[in-house]
Order: sequence, then structure tokens, then C-alpha cells
Amino acid sequence: MTAASLVFVIDDDPSVRSSLKFLLSTVGLQAETFESADSFLRRKPADIPSCLVLDVRLPGLSGLDFQRELATRNICIPIVFLTGHGDIPMSVRAMKAGAVEFLTKPFRDQDLLDAVRVALDRDRAKRKQDKEVADLRQRFDSLTSREQEVASMVVAGMLNKQIAAELGTAESTVKVQRSRAMEKMHAASLAELIKMIEKAKAPLKEAS
Amino acid sequence: MTADTQSAIRTSEPLDLQMLIETIPAMVVCALPDGSVEFTNRAWQEYTGGSLQQLRGSGWQTAIHPDDVSGFAEEWNASLTSGKPFATEMRMRRADGQYHWFLIRKALVIPPDQGGNSSLRTLIACEDINDRKQAEAKQRQSEIQLQAFFENSPNVIFLKDREGRYLYANREFKRVRRITEEHINGKTDDELFPVEQAATFQASDRQVLEAGLPVEFEQVTIQKDGQHTSIAQKFPLFNADGEIYGIGGIVTDITERKREEAARRYIEESHRLIVETASDAVISMDDTGAIRFANPATMRIFGYDPTELIGKPLTVLMPEFMRKMHETGFRRYLATGQRHISWQGTELTALRKNGEEFPVEISFGELTRDGHKVFTGFIRDISTRKHAEEKLRASERTLRELTETIPQMLWSAEPDGAVDYCNQRALDYTGLSAEQVRGAGWTKAVHRDDIESMSRVWTAAVSSGEPFQQEFRCFRAADRAYRWCISRALPLRDQSGRILKWFGTVVDLHDWKEAQQALRMTQAELARVSRLTTMGELAASIAHEVNQPLTAVTNNGSACLRLLANRSLEPEVLRRALEEIVADGTRASAVIARIRGFIKKAPTEKTELDVNEVIQEVLALASHELHKNQVLIECQLTRTLPLVRADRVQVQQVLLNLIMNGIEAMMGVIVDSRALCLESRIDQSGNVLVAVRDSGTGLGAEADRLFTPFFTTKANGMGMGLPISRSLIESHGGRLWATANSPHGAVFSFTLPAAGESPS
Repeated sequence: MTAASLVFVIDDDPSVRSSLKFLLSTVGLQAETFESADSFLRRKPADIPSCLVLDVRLPGLSGLDFQRELATRNICIPIVFLTGHGDIPMSVRAMKAGAVEFLTKPFRDQDLLDAVRVALDRDRAKRKQDKEVADLRQRFDSLTSREQEVASMVVAGMLNKQIAAELGTAESTVKVQRSRAMEKMHAASLAELIKMIEKAKAPLKEAS
Repeated sequence: MTADTQSAIRTSEPLDLQMLIETIPAMVVCALPDGSVEFTNRAWQEYTGGSLQQLRGSGWQTAIHPDDVSGFAEEWNASLTSGKPFATEMRMRRADGQYHWFLIRKALVIPPDQGGNSSLRTLIACEDINDRKQAEAKQRQSEIQLQAFFENSPNVIFLKDREGRYLYANREFKRVRRITEEHINGKTDDELFPVEQAATFQASDRQVLEAGLPVEFEQVTIQKDGQHTSIAQKFPLFNADGEIYGIGGIVTDITERKREEAARRYIEESHRLIVETASDAVISMDDTGAIRFANPATMRIFGYDPTELIGKPLTVLMPEFMRKMHETGFRRYLATGQRHISWQGTELTALRKNGEEFPVEISFGELTRDGHKVFTGFIRDISTRKHAEEKLRASERTLRELTETIPQMLWSAEPDGAVDYCNQRALDYTGLSAEQVRGAGWTKAVHRDDIESMSRVWTAAVSSGEPFQQEFRCFRAADRAYRWCISRALPLRDQSGRILKWFGTVVDLHDWKEAQQALRMTQAELARVSRLTTMGELAASIAHEVNQPLTAVTNNGSACLRLLANRSLEPEVLRRALEEIVADGTRASAVIARIRGFIKKAPTEKTELDVNEVIQEVLALASHELHKNQVLIECQLTRTLPLVRADRVQVQQVLLNLIMNGIEAMMGVIVDSRALCLESRIDQSGNVLVAVRDSGTGLGAEADRLFTPFFTTKANGMGMGLPISRSLIESHGGRLWATANSPHGAVFSFTLPAAGESPS
């Protein structure tokens, strides 16, 4: 588990940085600390589940501005905010922008550790889902274009007969293509195929 | 006959002579050589009505007109002595007393007879020539008259014979032709006139002779006073046999008439031009109401061609409703001569050809020609003027509405200060009527205690012409209360600067005045509040400063506890953690200590301070703000500063305020040039001077107001920082001021007296 996740800490105060790293280590979490947002951005993105513990008050860029900056760079990483004197509007803004937690210094250790855990879980789940979708998309891409067509029509709820009429082929041909598509997608049932194709297509839509 | 009679008498000598004479129808008298009458015949006696006896001797003389008696006697006697024939004319009285002219002639002389019984006798015949005489007299009279006519005629009149010799020329001829000779009869034109002139005359004469008819010529002659134009009428003169024996001429000088004609034509032409070019329509109407004339302007004004109006009734130019009225009035005028409307500048409504009605101003007059009345009118289209008047009225109305609806109390006054108008809002406010406020009536609305001052200031303004302004308490009818108002007025002057009117306003500033009062009362309170607010603003950064070490402390502590619970806390780890906890705790307490000193509401406690130390403390307090805003700090501190005697916290507060202001002033400039310079030195007077220089936006136009309470250039500022800072410095015997920094920004400086100088 130790190498399975990573916590990034950004705070301009060295005492705070080192104490946080120390605290996280007590529950077996590995942490990397940065004194500014810039130094964090220079680091290569992690390929294991990770999260960010971020002080709202940063020299130059504020924590909230940095959150927006990450979003525009399409970097998806859960954030736990820390602040010396958090106010409600600021926390609302941060949470709306996808922050996991907004903690006021000094905070209870358990609150921080819980927030970090939630953040890592969220990142882990996301990574898993991303991988699944990537797999499905890969499988879907392995289909011939006619098989993709037939599969899309099946998912849309059309009968073999209707598909044959639509594509101008024999119903038996459609049956063969359909079973081949199910096979390639590793779908055990029609219901499973529908779920798979929806999953594979959803992120595509978002990306476009 | 006379000869016959004589011969008869001679031959009938033997006949009874008396018998013979008696029977002659002519009147005969037989006279003796002494002139006495021997006898008369019957015809004579019948004429005179006298008997022979009465006429015998010289009695016959009674029959002769008294004026003719002596003449007759002379001639008779002369004839007797000479024996020459005798003939004379004289008047003899008829029986009825009337005198007739007679020709008296010696008819026959009878010699005395041989016996001597008889003497020489003369027979005298009397012939009645009265009719001839009368005709002759008449003829003479008529000739004189004619001559008089000719001579007095203003025309030249002449008669010539066929050969061109003048038979007659009247006086005018001689005058005009400048001929002085008394007698021009027998002379020709050649003798009287220049060659060319004579030739012209003779040519026309020939024309008349040839034609045998009267001919009219126009001739131009040069006279004393210049060229004259004349009409010469020449006509042939016929004798009893119908033959032309001469030429008559009548010459009429028409120069004057021509001149008059030209003058008249000029006047007429001028009048015509005036009428035709007039911008008003000029229309004449006869006594039947028909149009006889219309000028070209009629086309422009009425849309009718002038010619198409001739003969039409004038009423076509009037709208329907006026026609009857016009006809009635016109007939009444013709019948009675009474005018019922003004003939000069009457405003009426007229009708254009296109049916449009429009206002006109009409002036007209009448003229009687050949017993008929002609009326001529000048019609002016005043629709533009009317429109302008209407617009003016509308604009006045709008202005009046404006003054009545504007949410302001307005008034106006005569140059002598008498109020003549208050708008409705003012009347509603005071509850007075328009009549009540007139003159000096407005003072009824002024508070008793303010009337005197108000009147005095107003009178002064009226007499000097200076703008009027005065605050006073005005009665408000709505709540029956006196409220503070301000009235202002300015004079309206004409071009020469004379005041025409005063225009004034009244504004209720009661609420504002009260607010102002309240504001003054809370100002002191606010000054205190502001100080706390400034603290509040600092709280955020202070919290951060304190929370950072606290967070580190709790994190380290929590981590150690966890490891302890896992029984995996190694002594080395624990030692390091504890060291950090101690360091952070110390750090936190240092922050707290600074803040305590800052916030503590301790009474002013003056101690001897090193200003440089205070500067360092404040920079530590503001470090986070400076860091966050990327402001570079530059310190130019003089090391060997004298100590000052001051309240540390208050000096800190002032300095912090100046630093925070400097940071904010530089928010608007680019990061690289955000530099704040802190300087400490000794000034000329030996005081300690501290200056805070920023490179911000500068003081601008507001420099004068910086130290005015509540003046601020910040969105959330209170405007109290600098005034409080100044009062704090001044309470220490120092000064605080602002100057411009070069090249941009501001410098805030304050001084504090060196401790040695003031008695401690």
C-alpha cells in the first residue's frame, strides 16, 4: 500500500510542510512537499493514485487560483484545502470547484487524514474507471466498422430484422455480425453490451 | 328807281307834283332852302305818326334821333351851299317811339317857277335801312367774337392762301413761332421759318390741297424752352363756289400732355410693379362682390392663378362659415356706409384652392370710379407667424408646466424685490395662496426669528444685484412645523445689465442638516471604531501568522501520539518532533507578543524608543502582506538615531498604517516596480524623521483632502487612517505630512522630537 499512493503538500511554511509529511507518514502515506505551486507543476504527474494538500494562501498565485489553473491544464487531482482563516464564501468556491475538503488551521489530525483518504480513494476510483473505459474503447475499436454499426443499432434497441432492412443485408448476416461484436467486446449478454458501449462512448462525448 | 323817279318827275312837269309825291310808297319830304319842311307825303306822316302842321318848318327835326340831329343839320347845310348831292344815314322815330335807320337822300331839286311864286324846293327821299343796319351790326359783332376766340385761343391758328401766303395768324402763332412782326399777312413760311421747318410745313400744306380734306399731322418744333410736340390739323378752305382758296390750321401743343401722360404711365407702372411684386395678395372686388383683379402673389398664397379668379365672387377665398357673414356685412356696408369691422389689419380665416384654411391679416380700402365702388384688399398669409406664436405659447406653457411640476420650490420677484410668483409646490409646502405670497407676503412662512435676517439679506441682494442666498426656517403646512430651508436667487438682466427679474429656489435641507448634525456627533465615536476596524483588517494576516506555527505544533504532536499508539515512536523521531514543537511554539508566542503590544488598549505610555526598532517590528507584522503583494522593501535607516519619547504601540500603529497604505497604492502598478522604501534620519531641527515612500499611483488631485476625516480613495476604506495617524503624531509633538515621490508615488513623513530635548 505504501507505494500505491502519493500525497503532494504545497505550503510556503517549512514547519507546516515537514510536520504534515511527518503526520502523513504515521499512517503509512508517502508525501512529497513543495514550497510553491510552480515547483509542484514542474514535477512529472504521478501514475499512481494521488491527491493535493494545498494552503489557500500561497505566494503569488492563491490556492483557489491554482485550483482553477489545474482545471484549465486538464490535471484532475483531488484537492484538500488548508487555510489560516477560512471564510465561508472562499470554502464554498473551493468545494464547488471540486475540492474534497476545506480545513481551517490548526485542524484535528484525524480530519486531515480522513480528507486525504477520501481524496486518494476518489482518485483511485477515477483511475480505475478511466482504465475500464480505455479497455472498452480498445475493444470497441477492434470491431469492424460494420460490426460497430450493428452493435450501435442493437444498443439503440433495433431488432435484427430492422437492422437488416436498414443496412440492406440479410437478417442472418446481421445475426453473425452481432454475435461477433458481443464476442469481441467480451459481453455475456445484451444488457452487458449496452452498458459497455454506453461507458465507452460517454467519455468520448465529454472529450469532444 | 331813284333815277326813274327823277325822270318821271321831270317829264310830268305839268302834273300836280304834290299828288305825285303823295302816291309814292317811299317816304318823301319836300324841303325849302332854309331847311324847313314844306310838306311830307303820307308815307312819312304814317311812319312818324305826326301831322303836316307838326312837321312844317323845323318841326320835323323832332322825328330825328337826338344824337343824329346836329350831324344831319351840318351835312344838309353843306349840301345846300355846295349844291352837291346829299346822302346820309340817321335814325328816325316811328310812331310807336322806336328808332329805325334811314338813308336820307336828295332826290330831286325843283327850281323856282317863272312867276316867283315859288322858291327852290328839294325833294328828300327817306329809305328804311334798319334791317340792313342790324345785319351789319350783327356781322361785325360776330367777327369781333371770332377774332377774340382766335386771338385768345391757346392753340396756334392760321389761314393761308393757296400759294402759302398767310391770310391770318393769331397771337399764339406769333408767340410760339417767335414772330415779332405786327403784320405777317402776305408772308410765306419761307420768310418766317428756317428752311427745313418751312419745307415741312409746306409739304403738309400740299398734302391738304391735294386731298381736299382735313389732315392731321404730328410735328416737332424747337421752341425757346426746347422741343415741343404738336398735333396740327390742317383743312382746306372753300369759297362759295366750292373751290379751295386756302388752308386753315389749328395746332395743339401736346408736349405737356405727353409729359403728363409719361408721368402718369410711370406712376401707374410703379403701382403695377408694387402690386405685382408684393408678397401679399392684392385683390380688387367691385360692388357686386366679384373679383376684378388679383396680383401674382395670389397664386402663392391662395393657389389660384390670378386670371382664373377674375369675375368669381370674393367668397371663394373664404371658408364656408365666413361666406354668409361676409355677404351680409358687405350688403350692409353698401346700403348704410357703416363699417362693422376694422379695415386695417383684421385677422380672418381664408381658404386656399386646395381646401386648406389658414389665418390671414387683411387691410382694405375703397375707391369710387364712374359711380361704382371698388374695394382693394391686401391679404397677408400669417400662418407662419401664427405658427410661431403658437410655438411660443406652447413653449411658455411647457415652461410653466415645468415650473409647476419640477420637484423644487421656485419663485420670482420684481426688480424691486416684490415677489410676484411662487410655483404650486412652494404654495403647497407653505400652505399660502398665490395672493398671500405676493410682495412681502412670503415672510408669513418664515420663522419669527429668521424674518429679520432674511429680509436684510434679501434687501441687500436687491439693491446690489448680487446673488441671494440665505438659510431660514420655513413653515411647512403638511406637519405644521418649521424646517430648515435654503433659498437662493439670481437676477435676470437685460443687455444693458438692468435687472428684469429675480428667479429663486427654495430647498428643504432640514433632513440634511439633521444628518450633518448626527454625523458630527458620531465622528468621534467613528474614530475609535475605525481603529478597531483597522485591527480587524489585520486580524486575517495575524491569524495566519499565528496559525502556521500552531498547525505545525499540532501536526507534530498528533504524529507523535499516533506513533506512540502504534508503539513505533522512535526516540530520535520524537526528539526531532519536540524540537520543532518548541521552535514553533516560541514563534507563535513571539507573534502573539507583538500583537498584544499592538492591540492593547493601554493608556498612552511614553517610553524612550529606538525608532529603527519600531520599524523592524512593524515590518515583521506586515511581512505577510508585503510578501503576498510582492512588494520589495528597502530600508535606509540611520544607525545613530537619538531616542524618541513615545508610545510604542501608537508609533507602530501609525507606521503600519502608512505601510499598508503604501502597499495598496501600489496594487495598480506592475509587480517589478512595487518598491516600498523606509527611511529614518535626523531632520534640520534635530527631530527624528521617518519617511515611507511608495512607487504607487501618487496623490493626484486629492492631496489636499488626505487628512480630512472620511475621505478615502479605497473601495472599502473608512477614510480615518491618516487623520488618526496625524492626531497621534501631533499628540507626540510631531508632524505628519504627505509629498509626491519622484518619479511617481507618494512620500508620507512624520517627525518625532528627540528624547533629549523634551523634559522627561
